Formats: sequence, structure tokens, C-alpha cells
Amino acid sequence: MPPQPVHKRVHPRGVFSRFKGNIEAITIGVKFFFNPERSTLIYPKEYIKLKDGYRGFIVLIKDKCINCGSCARICPAAAMKLIRLPFTDPKTGRTRMKLWPVINYNRCIFCGYCVDVCPTEALYHVPYHDVVWDTMEEAETDLEKFQKPPEWKTEKEGIPVRYVFDEKKGLVKVRVEGEE
Amino acid sequence: MGALEILWKIISWPPLWQLIVLGLIVPLLVVIYILWFERKTAARVQRRIGPLHVSPKIAGGLQLLADLIRYSFQEIIIPKTVDKAAFISAPLIALILSILPVVGVPFTDKPEWFPIPMDYSLLVVLALVTLSPIFLIVAGWASNNKFSIIGGMREAFMITAYELIIIVSVASAGVAVGSYNIVDIVHAQTGWKLLGLLNPIAFFTAFVGVLLATSGFPFEIPESEHEVVAGAFTEYSGLMYGINMGAAYLKRMVYSIVLSVAFLGGWLPYTPGEGFVSGYLIPSIVIMVKATILMMIFSFLRAVYGRYRLDQALDLAWKIMFPLAAIGFGLSLAEAYLGIF
Repeated sequence: MPPQPVHKRVHPRGVFSRFKGNIEAITIGVKFFFNPERSTLIYPKEYIKLKDGYRGFIVLIKDKCINCGSCARICPAAAMKLIRLPFTDPKTGRTRMKLWPVINYNRCIFCGYCVDVCPTEALYHVPYHDVVWDTMEEAETDLEKFQKPPEWKTEKEGIPVRYVFDEKKGLVKVRVEGEE
Repeated sequence: MGALEILWKIISWPPLWQLIVLGLIVPLLVVIYILWFERKTAARVQRRIGPLHVSPKIAGGLQLLADLIRYSFQEIIIPKTVDKAAFISAPLIALILSILPVVGVPFTDKPEWFPIPMDYSLLVVLALVTLSPIFLIVAGWASNNKFSIIGGMREAFMITAYELIIIVSVASAGVAVGSYNIVDIVHAQTGWKLLGLLNPIAFFTAFVGVLLATSGFPFEIPESEHEVVAGAFTEYSGLMYGINMGAAYLKRMVYSIVLSVAFLGGWLPYTPGEGFVSGYLIPSIVIMVKATILMMIFSFLRAVYGRYRLDQALDLAWKIMFPLAAIGFGLSLAEAYLGIF
């Protein structure tokens, strides 16, 4: 037998329960009016301290890179590209052309596939993503720029906070003290 | 007679003082403050911050000024399909008519400071108050737009339901005292015999009626954004839209003045003396403070309540509020019979 539609009946509320509901609503309103528990993040002055493992900007450790090109091959947005640069081997002293990865943040979707696929862990994430560039050219990195994390101005100007779930108050903003 | 004396005489000439200062400037300032207060209150109750970044030191107090400047520099677009004369004149007339009832309210009991001394001032004020919504319907009709017409019709429904309630409940104040002269009504309330305490039913119905009739934010049924774009004001832009929005708040301010005179004792903790300052300035300040506190309570309710549907609001009006208003009227009759005042 197929499921049958159920006709739901909403019972009309009595005058007393209506009155009680209004009083309750106004009481809650008055409580919050005199004791506001605000959870707004005043962004440039405060910022959310993100945990390690957050997929932010990507940084290359050049010494670990074996020039395999897996990162560029797996990149779904074609943000990671390989560029050909001369490289002098410190042991033999011979100079050869090698392929080095660079990233274009105009295209990057911060999926982190390149970091996951890297066989020597030469790429890593930094736990922030709020950096503003003035031009589109500045969002493209060369090999030198790719080895340094982008400058994070929010950290210098703002207070790190974190949202914690409280049983009574709901979301509560807590200041993060130092490194954990 | 020196120039200063002539200037003082012009400033303190009752009709000018009452119409320009008490009727226009003070309500406008109060409305600007109330708009800021309403946004901040809603933000506090809803765990937000509200306007802040325009002027962080005074908690975003200049936000409304910034909005006003933006409105006044916006282009006023008049569509080709509208009825031009009615489209332009309707909001202006509505604005003027929404301030006009102040002329009938005596702010003191000294007859030399009345603009128009009359014996039926409460009835005159109520009659003048009910004029302005007609022009909102005219504005909606002249816009020649389906949203405007729906908004106008909603306005018409709400007026018929709620202004009747307001008139019945405020008139019951006059019934209890036995006079429709506001001065007599205020005098009868001396010694904390406030009509709001002695007849709380009428005060409550008048309060809810004002809240819904002025289509303030919890009950903005005529111009609800989600269903009809902006109700009767869909085709308006720039300063005309600002005038339309401000007219509702000015009307609410005038209603608050009427309520504070009829139910909260007007200038009562203070007894007017002789001269301009003691006889006119301080009583009017007392009334304005009472009206502002009423406005603040109205604004606070915005944060608590969700919006009613039109049928729910009319249901509330005809099934609950109108019988309650009738009961309040009966209570006033009983008090008049027992001779409490």
C-alpha cells in the first residue's frame, strides 16, 4: 500500500496561550536589549584565528622539490604552472634547465590537491587567506615569491579571536592568547 | 522696540512656535533619533552591532544623516505612465497632513499659548490624523503599477480596521472625563489618576492600533518587501521615497503625542506657570519626552515581532482588538457613571 497523505489539523490557540507567547517574546527581547550578547566579528580589528590544516595560501620549499610536475598536472583550475629555469647542481657544478612550479592566485580555488599530491611534501598551506592585491599581476607569483608566505597585514592590526559554542549563550567570541 | 524683542515675539508667537518647532523640527529630530534607535535596538536583540562604521565614536549616530544626504542627491524618476499631478502631490500632502494634527493639541493649559482655542480639540486631532492615509492610496493609484495598487488596497484595509480602533479607544478618554477638550482631559488626570492606569484596556488597544495603523516595521503590511515590492511607494525614488517613509514615522510621532496627552497625563507632573518658559516651554518638553519614550517602545517591538499577514492582522483587528476597544469604551462609561474624575 502506498503511503497516504495525512491531513494535519492545526489546533487554534486559545487567548491565554497567545498572551503567554507574546509576554515570553517581549521578555526575551528586553533581556537581550539590556544585556546584548553580540557575536559580530568586527573584521579588520578582530579576525578569526584559523587552525592548522586550513587550506590557505600555498608556499613552496624549493630544496625539497624534485621537479616532478605532479602539482601542475593535478591542479583542477590550472592555477599551478611549470616554468623552465636554469638550475646549478651543487655537487657536479653543471647547469641544467629544470621545471619549477609557480602559482597564479587569480585562478587558485584553494582545493589543496597540489599539497596532497606532492611526493616530497615540498608544498604547504599557511592558515590564512585574507590578503588584498591592488592589481591582478600581483596575484601571480614567480619562483622567488612562491617560496615566501604572502604578507599578512590582518595579523599586525587585529586581535585573533575564535568562536566557541556555549550551551547557554550559543556562539561566543573568545580571544586567542598566543600559540597553542 | 528693539530688534531682539521683535525676533523674540516672532519666535514665541504660539502658532509659529507650535507649527514650526513643535510640529516640524522636534518631530523630525525625534524621528531621526528613533530611526537610529530602532536599528540599534533590533541589532542588540538580534545579537548584531548595527550601524557603526559611519561614526564609531557615537555608535553610528551619523548613519541616518548619511542616508538622508544620499537620498537627497538621488535622481527623482517620474515614469511616463503615472498620473503626474497626483503622483507628485500625494506624498507631499500626506506629509503635511501627518504633521497637521499637532495644531489642535494644546501643550499647556494657558489659553494665550493655544494656536486655536477650541472645546473639541481631541475630536479635531483625531479627524485630522485620519486624513493622510487617503493620500497614500492616491499615491498607489497614481503610480499605475500593480504592486502599488495592491499596497494601496492593503493600506485601505488596515486603515478601516485600525483607525476605527484608535478613534474608539482615544475617544473613550474623553468619555471618561466628560469633555473632549484636551486641557480638561489632562486636568482630570491630576494626582496620578492617569487614564492609562485607570483604563488600561483602551490604552492597550490604542497602542496596538497605532503600531499597526502607521505600518511601522513589525507590521509593515502595506509595504512589505517580500510580497509587494514597496507597496504604494514602488515607483518612487530618491527624496520622494524618503518623504513617504518619513511621513509614516511623523504620523506615529503625532499619534504618540496624542496618546501621551490623552492617557499619560500630558504635562502633568509639572504644573504650568506664568511666562513663556514656565508656561509653555517646559510643558511641551515634558509632552515631547513622553511621546519619545512611547516611540522608543514602538521601535523596540519591531525587534521582537515577526510580520503579520494581511488576513491575520485583520483577524486580530476585528475579532480581538475591536471588541477590546468596545470594552474599554464601556469601562470609560462606567468610570464616568461612578464619577471617578
